[in-house]
Amino acid sequence: MTKNKHSSFTKGLTRQQLIEIDTCTQCGECIRNCPVQEVTGDPSVSPPEKIRMFREFIKATEGLKARLFGTEQIDRQLLEDFTKAVFECTTCGACSKACTVGIDTQRLWPMLRREMVTKGLGPIGPQAEMPEAIAETGNPYRKPSLDRFRTWFPEHIEVSDKAETGYYAGCTGAYEAQPMVRGDVLVLNAIGAPFTMLSHEKEVCCGFPLFITGQHDMLSGLVNDLVEAYKAKGVKTLVCSCPCCVNIMARDWPLFYKKDLPFRIRHITQHVNDALQHQKIRFRKTVPERLIYHDPCYLSRGVGIIEEPRDILKSIPGAELLEFDRNRLDSRCCGAGGAARKVFHENAIKMGRLTIAEAVRKKADRLILSCPACYAKVNEAMKDYPEKILITDIMELMSEVVERVNT
Amino acid sequence: MDMLLLVVSYLVYALFCARLAFHALVWLRAENQLKVHTRTSADSLRIIAITVIDLIFFRKLFISSKMVWLGSWVFHISFFFVFLRHLRFFLEPVPGIVTLLQPVGKIAGYLLAASAAYLFVIRTAQGIRHYVSRSNLFIIALVFVISASGVLMNGFFSPDLVVIKEFMLGILTANPADAPENIIFLVHFLAFLVLIPFLPFHVFTAPAITFESVRREENLFLVMHDKK
Repeated sequence: MTKNKHSSFTKGLTRQQLIEIDTCTQCGECIRNCPVQEVTGDPSVSPPEKIRMFREFIKATEGLKARLFGTEQIDRQLLEDFTKAVFECTTCGACSKACTVGIDTQRLWPMLRREMVTKGLGPIGPQAEMPEAIAETGNPYRKPSLDRFRTWFPEHIEVSDKAETGYYAGCTGAYEAQPMVRGDVLVLNAIGAPFTMLSHEKEVCCGFPLFITGQHDMLSGLVNDLVEAYKAKGVKTLVCSCPCCVNIMARDWPLFYKKDLPFRIRHITQHVNDALQHQKIRFRKTVPERLIYHDPCYLSRGVGIIEEPRDILKSIPGAELLEFDRNRLDSRCCGAGGAARKVFHENAIKMGRLTIAEAVRKKADRLILSCPACYAKVNEAMKDYPEKILITDIMELMSEVVERVNT
Repeated sequence: MDMLLLVVSYLVYALFCARLAFHALVWLRAENQLKVHTRTSADSLRIIAITVIDLIFFRKLFISSKMVWLGSWVFHISFFFVFLRHLRFFLEPVPGIVTLLQPVGKIAGYLLAASAAYLFVIRTAQGIRHYVSRSNLFIIALVFVISASGVLMNGFFSPDLVVIKEFMLGILTANPADAPENIIFLVHFLAFLVLIPFLPFHVFTAPAITFESVRREENLFLVMHDKK
């Protein structure tokens, strides 16, 4: 094993995060909720083990012995093991919810990833290509910018040049979960209020994949361009259906924009639930089915959107809403999170199948999702899997059953 | 021997302070200010109340595992009362509250040994499906040795308490007194000296992190909603 000298491991961490690292009791209770543990059973990639390893790095570079006698060399293998462990995580935040002292791991893991990126050890595999892909095509999948809306956007729907409501489709929805974003637009159209969108060249990545993989260099530029573009279109409310996009918009865009945003961020279920309550749309048919709703990690634990999707589903005539054993703030990751799904594909497929299996066991007719990454990965997980269930995005379903109320 | 114990005690204490200071230095030197953007509600009394309940009753551990909670809660509460009971060796005159708590502290001593043994067994028995921290097992084993030797002194091999107090006050005032000639006491005292450098930091930092966690959870709804 080769050994390398390293500089500080704490430069990118906040004071609270440094204290959190010291506060982990190593009790291991978080492991009960960790989806990666559930499918790998490997404690070496567990939350407490990651924290233990990172403590070793801090100790070797900034501990008492390091200060008195100089920085210690850190075993290269240990650095690589840690990097793999922290990038294998789906950053779902279930460990944070279970943490007996309340460490904000959903925030901590991306920051530890960033530390490894600055040390040249991360990101892993295709994640490393994302900055270049985004710079060239506007999306992390390196798909043509021209196809961002062309393949799914309903031709009959008119988008205003300027409007108070803006809609951001997001890369994963536009390229990997088109029924979802198509549903979004159909429902927005049914609501009736004009809405605007950026052009396919200007609607670029929200920055979440870069943020979550610790590659922060481009973030300020991306965020600034997007915010200014929506501002120029007169947007007062920016609506988006992707939980990851919504999360970074609500939590981190103000930080990278360096001031409060000139518009508010709304998840599409909030927007549509309001429209239902204000009777701007109504149901034109019943759905006599048992629906089971999966809470996306970055929507529930991330930004607290929990009841709106349920309110919408419960209001559908004929529908019965079922719950997963782990729901709301305790929901189990479907495997698609944290940009890990493209690298640790097998883990993601296994996690997706756990979601499918439970939905089937509960005799649901339809699995309702509200995240494009969940939508893409759970559909992929169902291929070659004996358990089958109809998977539908919440707005895909709504677009089939609502119509405008003519006043 | 007395001087040796005195020197070792000071060394351990100095090492502990240095360790604490260097951790604090790392915290203070934090440069990144990329904090989560959250709106906060004004209901800080509720946040404090939940934090206090979380800290006193280990609410989250209770939700996670009743079996671990039982051992862990008894362990920490007993440790607290045993600590209070031991203040009689460091304070002169002994405050009334410390005298009053002696019977409770005595029972806590027995419970501490029992809960340490219980935690050691269940942590070890959890096997490969669960995370077992070797440092935690070491600390639990050390606390078991300390508490079991305390129980032995209390029930079977009573040392001269006056000599112990003179010895402890001698350490505090840098005025060495004769060490008690009781082998169980020496085991008890030396095991405690070993424990000090290994004291986990959560003992000091958990209140702040738990408070922040409760605040975050209570304000989660406000990230995307105008009001509760």
